[in-house]
Amino acid sequence: MILIGELSLWVALVMAAWGTVVAFAGGATRRAELVASAERAVYATFAFILLASIGLWDALFRSDFSIKFVASFTSRNLPTVYKFTAFWAGQAGSLLFWALILTLYSSIAVYASRNKNRALMPYVTGTLSAVALFFVATLCFGANPYERLDFIPVDGRGMNPQLQNPGMAIHPPNLYLGYIATTVPFAFAVGALITRQLDGEWLAAVRRWSLLSWFFLTVGITLGMWWAYVELGWGGYWAWDPVENASFLPWLTGTAFLHSIMVQEKRGMLRKWNVVLVVSTFLLAILGTFITRSGVISSVHSFAQSPVGKWFSWFLLVAIALTTYLVMTRLKDLEAKAELESMVSREAAFLYNNVMLVGVAFSVLWGTLFPIISEAVRGTKITVGPVFFNAVNIPLFLLLLGLTGIGPLIAWRKASVSNLRRQFTGPLVAGVVGLAMLLALGMRDAYALIAYTLCAFVLMTIVQEFYKGVRARHAMYAENVAVALYRLVARNRRRYGGYIVHVGVVILAIAFAGLAFKRENDVTLKAGETFTTRDPYGAVWTFTSEGVSEYEELNRFSTAVLLRTTRDGKPMPAIKTEKRQYVDSQKENTFEPATEVGILEGARQDVYVVLAGVRGETAELRITFNPLVVWVWFGGLVMAIGGLIVMWPATEKRAAQAGYEARLRPERAPAAAS
Amino acid sequence: MIRDVSRREFLGALAAGAAALALPSIAGAQQGGNSMAAPMTEGGYKEVRRPARGTTPSMTADARDALEHHLHCQCGTCTLDVYTCRTTDFNCPVSPAMHRDAMALVAGGYSAQEILDAFSATYGERVLMAPTKSGFNWAGYLVPSVAVGIAGVLVLSMLARWRAAPPERALAMPPSDVTHDERARLDAALRNDS
Repeated sequence: MILIGELSLWVALVMAAWGTVVAFAGGATRRAELVASAERAVYATFAFILLASIGLWDALFRSDFSIKFVASFTSRNLPTVYKFTAFWAGQAGSLLFWALILTLYSSIAVYASRNKNRALMPYVTGTLSAVALFFVATLCFGANPYERLDFIPVDGRGMNPQLQNPGMAIHPPNLYLGYIATTVPFAFAVGALITRQLDGEWLAAVRRWSLLSWFFLTVGITLGMWWAYVELGWGGYWAWDPVENASFLPWLTGTAFLHSIMVQEKRGMLRKWNVVLVVSTFLLAILGTFITRSGVISSVHSFAQSPVGKWFSWFLLVAIALTTYLVMTRLKDLEAKAELESMVSREAAFLYNNVMLVGVAFSVLWGTLFPIISEAVRGTKITVGPVFFNAVNIPLFLLLLGLTGIGPLIAWRKASVSNLRRQFTGPLVAGVVGLAMLLALGMRDAYALIAYTLCAFVLMTIVQEFYKGVRARHAMYAENVAVALYRLVARNRRRYGGYIVHVGVVILAIAFAGLAFKRENDVTLKAGETFTTRDPYGAVWTFTSEGVSEYEELNRFSTAVLLRTTRDGKPMPAIKTEKRQYVDSQKENTFEPATEVGILEGARQDVYVVLAGVRGETAELRITFNPLVVWVWFGGLVMAIGGLIVMWPATEKRAAQAGYEARLRPERAPAAAS
Repeated sequence: MIRDVSRREFLGALAAGAAALALPSIAGAQQGGNSMAAPMTEGGYKEVRRPARGTTPSMTADARDALEHHLHCQCGTCTLDVYTCRTTDFNCPVSPAMHRDAMALVAGGYSAQEILDAFSATYGERVLMAPTKSGFNWAGYLVPSVAVGIAGVLVLSMLARWRAAPPERALAMPPSDVTHDERARLDAALRNDS
């Protein structure tokens, strides 16, 4: 199977090269048989990459340590589920995984367009094949997962303990699914630019894939935060690490595109901007991969430095040059088909929202690259950590949060004063009341106050929209509230799904602002000793150590401390935190000891306990009260559900209808006709 | 008026851009600059000590912990601050050593800023979790806000220009090829309908 797998990789390389050349040749010469051949090459590339992947999985499950990749990331005593996920634990395997998803997506995109977009498809197929060619070439010549060792070791090195976590099993695939889905819109954009067919036709396909990318990036980023929180043990979920930022960048530009595409669909405006956003989202996904793999910026996530980083940088430069050329030579074709009628209109609000989203993306990219820029300019190494990112980005995020509430309430074309008064009175009152309540409760943190005031404002705008919709359906069809709410969402999935995404954003903002009230305690406890402290809500907690215990499990030795807890004198669940020393089948240590955090979760706060170390009978602990953390996961879930509602296929049928639909009540129709 | 860029213009701009990109990298190579130094191990630790000024600590333990959030662990393998690293990773030899130095400086009566300055003097500016607000570093702090501000102004001026010139669009519409007879027929049909 290994030989078949390795051979398949090389055949896939030939197929991708064939697909690239023949697709562009077919497009240029208008020869249908060449285009058909290129499309078959896309399917064949996928089939051979799938075979190569099966070969690697087979080697991982059989613990074939003659293969360097298998010996590097697995051991005989590694649980089976992690032998499966070891596929993307290292550079070569993750690149193969990337190629697998890319060729799968390409096959689906080509198949779905077999009867439409025919003028674009040669170039779409060619671009998809070219990207696949790059990845397969990188695999064959730069990071071959089938590279052999000179000898066959008795056991492998095993998997990094921090990767032995359910979150890590599903977080990278979700991110990859999101990153790679940006390739299809990019290919359609290139096809539309080359053929100069830049009307709405290409947007339908692009929107679906952009939503898919956005959905998986949202899920992947949320899972990544959860993994960092429960596994890394530093007490937070977002550290502004370069690789975290790299996943956030395409999410930001993708989100901007999903808003601005509505303006192009409704009004034929922002056509240049939309092309630029589609292209930028793909390039940022590649930039993220470059940052992860080049080692150019230090990150806890980075793969070892390898020549692959240089390959990515060249690919990035070529892609930037080609797409810039295509856009710059087609500016006239991209001119808007309508003009803005008012600066207070839905389309203007979307434009402001886009400026902020892209502004935040620029700000994050700037902060990520600033250490390199600073060193190039001044020759001085600097660190750009959370302190910097929070100082620069929090004001921008707050502005963006405000726009989340404003945009959807303003009418298309031009909003009247009465429209504005009607739409905004309730939300403004909610914001002011929320602010007054928080001040009365004693909250004084300026950023938190602004954030919660804006959250109240935005939440009220959404509640108001749902209320109006449900009330209208109740009046027109006499539906009860539950049925009216269900049908309101089901029949306007795009609009109300979007509002649900906004609810998720508000929940996340509420949770993020809770960080302002985090409390940390550095504690040492012997068996029977008690530590007493207050949480951010003023409750008194006690933590009593049950002492240090040591035991052996499947592939590790664990050192654990159990804490009995009380809150205001009432018993609470015990918290156990561990240090784990992972070992191979020969009981030899494989990695440095890893932290297993003890978390007592709650809606108001998490009690987060880390065993930093043990000295004799004394446990060194960090006990942190993290307010509202559980709402981060819930907010991510709500955003994902909203995204699913928007993506649901029926939405596309209805998207063809422009404007609003008015219906008369059935019983009154005859009277109205007469 | 927007016009397409010709292939020659684009290639010229591309060549100029490539030359501009290449020059700093050549200059950097001549200076021996390398953005990726070898990863630091425990050898990354350097002692930061100053003679004590008195016997009264300059701050509480909580304030010292807060101060350590502003110091970057110099082990070279993590991106954490000293407090988080030393209370998370028991294996790191560098953050506890840096913590001991911070404790000694606090006990010696040094203020938070003096302690940060002492660490910067020993390790360089990279020991701070955020660049100091001085000199070129201001670009780091201000460029994002300035860029968003400029983008906002550009968008607003573009919107204002669009609003000011809506008739142009109407004039720019292609002339209708409806004949006089067809128009008369349409008018008649509409008259009959009404």
